[in-house]
Amino acid sequence: MDQLLPPEIDEAARSFASALAACGDLNALMRLKGAYVGREGSHAARMMDLLKAAPKEHKRELGAQINAYKQQWEEALKGRQTDLESAKKAQDALAAGWDPTLPPPVPAAGALHPLNRLMDRLVDVFRPLGFHVEEGPEVETEAHNFDGLNIPDDHPAKASSDTFYLAAHPELLLRTHTSPVQVRTLLRVAPTLAERGGIRFLAPGRVYRKDEIDPTHSPMFHQVEGMLVGHGIGMQHLKGTLEYALRTLFGPHTEIRLRPSYFPFVEPGCEVDVSCPLCGATGCRVCKGSGWVEILGAGLIHPNVLTYAGIDPTVWSGWAFGMGVERMSMMLSQTPDLRLFFENDQRFLKAMGGLD
Amino acid sequence: MWIERKALAQEIPAAAGLEIRELCEVLASLGFPVDGVAAREGSEALDVDITANRGDAMSHRGIAREVAARLGQPLTPLPPSAPEGAPLLEVRLEAAACPVYATAVLELGPGETPESAQAFLRALEATPKKLPAVDASNELLHRYGHPTHAFDADAIRGAVSVRWARPGETITTLDGVTRSLATADLVIADEAGPIALAGVMGGDATKVSATTRRVLLESAWFDARTVRATARRHSLHTDASHRFGRGADPAMARIARDLLVLRLQTWCQARLLGAWTAGAEPQRGTAVVLEAGLLTRIAGESLDLPQAAEALQRLGCSVVATAGSLSVLPPTWRHDLNIPEDLAEEVLRLRGYEHIPSALPPLEGPPEHLAPAYLQRQALARRLAHLGFHQTVTYGFISPEADSTFAGPANPPEGRTLANPLGYEYSVLRGSLLPSLVVSAGQNARQGARQIRLFELAPTYLSGPSGPREQATLAVVWGGVLGGEDPFSPARSVQEADLAGLARDLGIQDGPAIHRLAEGLFGFEVSLAALPLPQDRIIPAFRPFSRFPAVERDLSLLVPLGLGHETLRQAMASALPADALQDLRCVDVFRHRSLPEGRQAWLMRLRFQADRTLVGAEVDGWMAAALAAAEALGASLRA
Ligand SMILES: [Zn+2]
Repeated sequence: MDQLLPPEIDEAARSFASALAACGDLNALMRLKGAYVGREGSHAARMMDLLKAAPKEHKRELGAQINAYKQQWEEALKGRQTDLESAKKAQDALAAGWDPTLPPPVPAAGALHPLNRLMDRLVDVFRPLGFHVEEGPEVETEAHNFDGLNIPDDHPAKASSDTFYLAAHPELLLRTHTSPVQVRTLLRVAPTLAERGGIRFLAPGRVYRKDEIDPTHSPMFHQVEGMLVGHGIGMQHLKGTLEYALRTLFGPHTEIRLRPSYFPFVEPGCEVDVSCPLCGATGCRVCKGSGWVEILGAGLIHPNVLTYAGIDPTVWSGWAFGMGVERMSMMLSQTPDLRLFFENDQRFLKAMGGLD
Repeated sequence: MWIERKALAQEIPAAAGLEIRELCEVLASLGFPVDGVAAREGSEALDVDITANRGDAMSHRGIAREVAARLGQPLTPLPPSAPEGAPLLEVRLEAAACPVYATAVLELGPGETPESAQAFLRALEATPKKLPAVDASNELLHRYGHPTHAFDADAIRGAVSVRWARPGETITTLDGVTRSLATADLVIADEAGPIALAGVMGGDATKVSATTRRVLLESAWFDARTVRATARRHSLHTDASHRFGRGADPAMARIARDLLVLRLQTWCQARLLGAWTAGAEPQRGTAVVLEAGLLTRIAGESLDLPQAAEALQRLGCSVVATAGSLSVLPPTWRHDLNIPEDLAEEVLRLRGYEHIPSALPPLEGPPEHLAPAYLQRQALARRLAHLGFHQTVTYGFISPEADSTFAGPANPPEGRTLANPLGYEYSVLRGSLLPSLVVSAGQNARQGARQIRLFELAPTYLSGPSGPREQATLAVVWGGVLGGEDPFSPARSVQEADLAGLARDLGIQDGPAIHRLAEGLFGFEVSLAALPLPQDRIIPAFRPFSRFPAVERDLSLLVPLGLGHETLRQAMASALPADALQDLRCVDVFRHRSLPEGRQAWLMRLRFQADRTLVGAEVDGWMAAALAAAEALGASLRA
């Protein structure tokens, strides 16, 4: 058969595949198409001329041969064209539109302050139990800050070495804890306590003590106070509530431990430890290997506190707790220096406060 | 307070069998957490944390009593009292603050403080003076908690009295400081004047020295409040004042005197010349009644009353049980058991708080809502944080200079000044949050922050006749470069307009003053009262809106500089049908030398929409009317 077609045609047929592969774009492909199957001067046109001139007895055989070549070339060219066209389309799309591999516009990422965020979280934790938020002024009277809380009038905390007083108003001070909110709230609700069915609230806020600024002390810090007044309230209710709250905060396997302690405004009083949330109570640097960390102080409201507010302690009883927000935040985040909370470096705020 | 383990075991032998970890756990569960354990003098010293109400526990004997009560094991008995004799010297008790004063006179011998006693003192970080009378008194204080004192008997002139100081009297105390006394200071005095500040510190003139031959011992009981006041008045806080100030045991006066005599006899072969007591122990208080109902309420479960009585007895109380209650007389060393709740706590404490059951308190009334002002702050903080701002917390007091920048003349600093600030730079309760935010912004700038976006929600203070009034305030500062941190947002400097836009978006009525706080840093401050409260009504009434197409037309105006946008906008709007005009405002500004002098170009965009399809001629008429209104204010159509 070979002798039917000239050697240059056979050569072209042999090199077709590599020539096709070498076409990098549609222009090159069109040139190749013209050379092989074009209307004039192509290998196909040349073969048709040969067919016309061929002796009659060979025509049939030669025709089949030529058709086979043409069909093979055309199909291959068409397939390659489809590939190159879709590649070009994709290229055009990239050039025209958004490159999805590029970073999208940076988010407007601000942050809540870590202390506020923790206080908000505590409010969220207690809301389902029916607690609301009470607030009070930071400039307080001695009566609300000390007297109403069963703190004796010669208590050392009242000294000007411990508490900030106002120059023009010697009876006014910067509250040294959030506990005066207890006094204010109890005084306010005392007349309607029965209709209300008791009261339960949190009091988050800023407090002041005369401490020099250093890595573990600050003249201003934050506390969250919790209080509940009802009928027949005992230590079991304090324990049950704190167990619920601290498990919500730290996870369902959290255990709490009450230890006797003393605060003038509660009786009995206790410190509350929580099983170390950092090591799962197996012992670490934060819990000093004990598996427990001290988290807050609490107790049943001292009858004198209720009496001061005009609430009959033989009818009503309740519990209260107070926790240091910075202390808790520092311990759990292992922040080494308290001053970072008040320097307000945006990087610290973003990393520690963030957003919910 | 340091507790040396061997000395503790001498008071409660059963404690010797406890491992150090067990001992620490027992103490913590009784309310005396151990802050640390140190190896001292071949033994261990425990750093025990003792709360202010438990003066009775400030000694080895005191801690031993607690451990003994918990373990149900006996304490080592105290030696029997020695017989007393006739006074060798008159001791007059002239103030009720000292009802009992046990004393003795001894002639000292040649012996020295034994090494065991010195080691004990060193283990507690106390320094042995190697004077037996001084060291024995000190050792007794740490072991039994009762402060005593030894005077050089030969330095005392005449009779001794315990009395209030007289006006103008002074004393030079053992620390060498000469102190002017107040008439509320209780003193021990001889006929020449004060020789000791009662319960606080002895006098220098009568102190025991190496040449002292005879000593007069003092083992008294002083009123706690009096001692606290004197210690505070003279800033003189001593081991003795801590113990008397928190309430010592009056029954220990004679016992401690006897123990001191015994020590001097054995340590330095002292010869007792006479021992006697002036006055008598004060009457014990009245019994406190603990009702079973109260105990049950506090404990959270019904407790067996005889068991509660037994627990209180182990703590030294005398208990008389009646039907449904216990009548309890606390021991002489406990001054903190005054109400039934105190006794309930003791029962629970001895039983262990770990036995307290757990229950959620029943809801007795409907839960209360969160206050609108609280919700407003929470929403505002989140809004600003989502917009890219960082919430700051800064101190509420600042320097008078920083305060004066923004506080204004209507808010003088005098009414907001602290009497005892940490320092001048923290002396005024701030009238504005901006100075603090400027400091935080500067710190961020120095740290290389490209953009500074800070806000604070905190009170500012307004001086008033009855004290500073607190005003919940929002302050925002914004500066640096906006954008340029991704391929899509071009970089530009933050401008005043950005803050004005933010203020508007937050819903602040009457755009607040935008302060230029530093190069490229701007800020504003508003009272939260100027911000809308969160709306209760989350489903508002339906307001119909047009479904017909809107028409937008631009008007390029040459406007005199100084003509306000709002003035122009209102004039144009008043010439247009209110029901069709949807929006009208400047969307572009052009200022250039090529414009007529005193003019700028504003591109005003008007948007019309109505409940019908608007026709071109109608809108053309409105545009002409708008232009005429603008021209009346001196504007002209830009060619
Ligand atoms: Zn841990």
